[in-house]
Amino acid sequence: MTVATDTAAVAAGDTPATPRAVQAPLGRMLWSEVTWVLRRPRTIVSLALLGLVPIVVAIGVLVADRGQARAPGSDGVFTSIAGNGLMLPVIALSVCLALLLPLVGAMSAADALAGEAAHGTLRALLIAPVSRVRLVGIKAFGVAAVVLTAATVIAVVGVVTGLVLVGSHGMVTFSGTSVSLGSALVRVLVATLWATVQVWAVAAVALAVSAFTEHPLVVMAVTLAGAIVFGVLSSIPSLDWLQPFLLTEGWPSILDVLRDPMPTTGLLDGVWRAGCYLLIGLSVTLARVVTKDG
Amino acid sequence: MTTPGTIGVAEPQASATPAPPLAARTRGLRKVYRKTVAVDRVDLDVPQGAVLGMLGPNGSGKTTTIRMLLGLVRPTTGTVELLGHPLPDGAARALPQVGALVEGPGFHPFLSGRDNLRRCAAAEPLLATGSISTAVDDALERVGLADAANRTYRGYSLGMKQRLGLAAALLVPRRLVVLDEPTNGLDPAGTREVRQVIADLHRGGTTVLVSSHLLAEVEATCTHVAVLHRGTVVAQGELADLLEASTPALLVSTPDVDRAVEALRAGGISTRPWEGGVRVELTGTAAPAVLEVLVRAGVAVHEARRQRTGLEELFTQLTEADPGESETFAGARDSLDVEEALR
Repeated sequence: MTVATDTAAVAAGDTPATPRAVQAPLGRMLWSEVTWVLRRPRTIVSLALLGLVPIVVAIGVLVADRGQARAPGSDGVFTSIAGNGLMLPVIALSVCLALLLPLVGAMSAADALAGEAAHGTLRALLIAPVSRVRLVGIKAFGVAAVVLTAATVIAVVGVVTGLVLVGSHGMVTFSGTSVSLGSALVRVLVATLWATVQVWAVAAVALAVSAFTEHPLVVMAVTLAGAIVFGVLSSIPSLDWLQPFLLTEGWPSILDVLRDPMPTTGLLDGVWRAGCYLLIGLSVTLARVVTKDG
Repeated sequence: MTTPGTIGVAEPQASATPAPPLAARTRGLRKVYRKTVAVDRVDLDVPQGAVLGMLGPNGSGKTTTIRMLLGLVRPTTGTVELLGHPLPDGAARALPQVGALVEGPGFHPFLSGRDNLRRCAAAEPLLATGSISTAVDDALERVGLADAANRTYRGYSLGMKQRLGLAAALLVPRRLVVLDEPTNGLDPAGTREVRQVIADLHRGGTTVLVSSHLLAEVEATCTHVAVLHRGTVVAQGELADLLEASTPALLVSTPDVDRAVEALRAGGISTRPWEGGVRVELTGTAAPAVLEVLVRAGVAVHEARRQRTGLEELFTQLTEADPGESETFAGARDSLDVEEALR
């Protein structure tokens, strides 16, 4: 029997019951993904630990403040919290942005593709089938949700701790002016979203690494190494031409929300830079997932 | 016997009856990983409604073929058609009606069996959101996991994990179910249940593709067989045809062996003594002619029956075709046994 007649037999006897390509509802899949990532024990533990950061910072500052009379002129970032509750969430975000938040983003990205591949669960999704482009979208959404939740936890715990320990008298900015409680909360919100976008950029790159490996540990190692290398590069004076391209370079700008009026140049630069990393990371992820053997 | 296709019906039967429509079909499938050729020239036909057993020693390309069949892996060359749709482009049309358990069950250890299935169900295109709960409960019931549904997957035994994988493949009524080593890690009762599930699917008109290294398993459940060896299909077709075609022989029990042999040889029929009688090769001779010769010669015939080769014998013939390979195969078999023992 020839191949041609075989094809005819397949075509004749096999009227597809599904006339067109069907996919599971996107909303259902996104919900399934988000509930999955947020129920994972390691996510819960890391969120809880991040929530401790503002509390530890506040207690540390208060203890130090009580122990010694404030020396005139020592208005460091941390001591300014002492009389100024709403600075706490922003400073806690700034502390976490240095390493802890990127690590949470990288962990989540590592589990999203490499971890699922290692468990054999990625295969199940591909066979369901979930199209590979959609798979990347769903996974990126899950990682983004974890990062946003993490930043929000820090901000909320920071605000509550600040209000409880110091009181709700609004915020005294670095510039010496005083802003209302409402305005101060808006600034905290800006800082939270800004930190989230920065960590999304890290996580997007981590997701790209995650698409290339079956070992979540590799993703963590690469992200950590990347953070260290960026730190070293930005500290070498002869490489200062490189600085506009380093993601971490703009991160101190998060404290700009504590100035009055709020300088936007550094913050916007940071958003553009993060956007570039985000785009590159997601494109590489997409290219890899679409072509790789599952 | 060294060339593929000399045994059995490696080629699709060209007969007066039209060939049954195929649930899956591959042509000239070849997959090269770096420099290793995993699969080469695989022309596999999975007839609709069949239970096709895929047999082969470890590393013979069973799983690679299945992965290409499901669009998980892109073939280096060759084509795959699944439920009439070419892959990988038609995957979105074909795969919703295909259930699969490939390379062992894959689930999240921190979720319960039920929650793991719900997660799978969320991705099933043909499952309405409202009926997910029922579908999940039904699937759990079907594989006998209803009682353990709320325990975390981490605490499942190997057999329970395997059952959960099977349940995921059965979430939606399927036209094709692909099971890669479904009885791995199952106790005899579990094996029987899997056999039962396959039989139920078959009765319901679902095509089933089972890969296994357990020959008895395949012989008991399958209507069709494909034997893979060193990355290529060395035989495929209906199980009954394959077994018959390999060694057509007639076993005749008679108290008078010497006279029977003498008479048959005189009649130009090759034969040799066999436990309690003679064994006659049915090449060029039909069974009635043999009996006629014997009766004419006055030999008492107590019983005459067709010899059915066991699948194991056929498999051994196909995969140990040349002596150089038999060692590899024996090695593979040993490693299988070790694997089983370790479990």
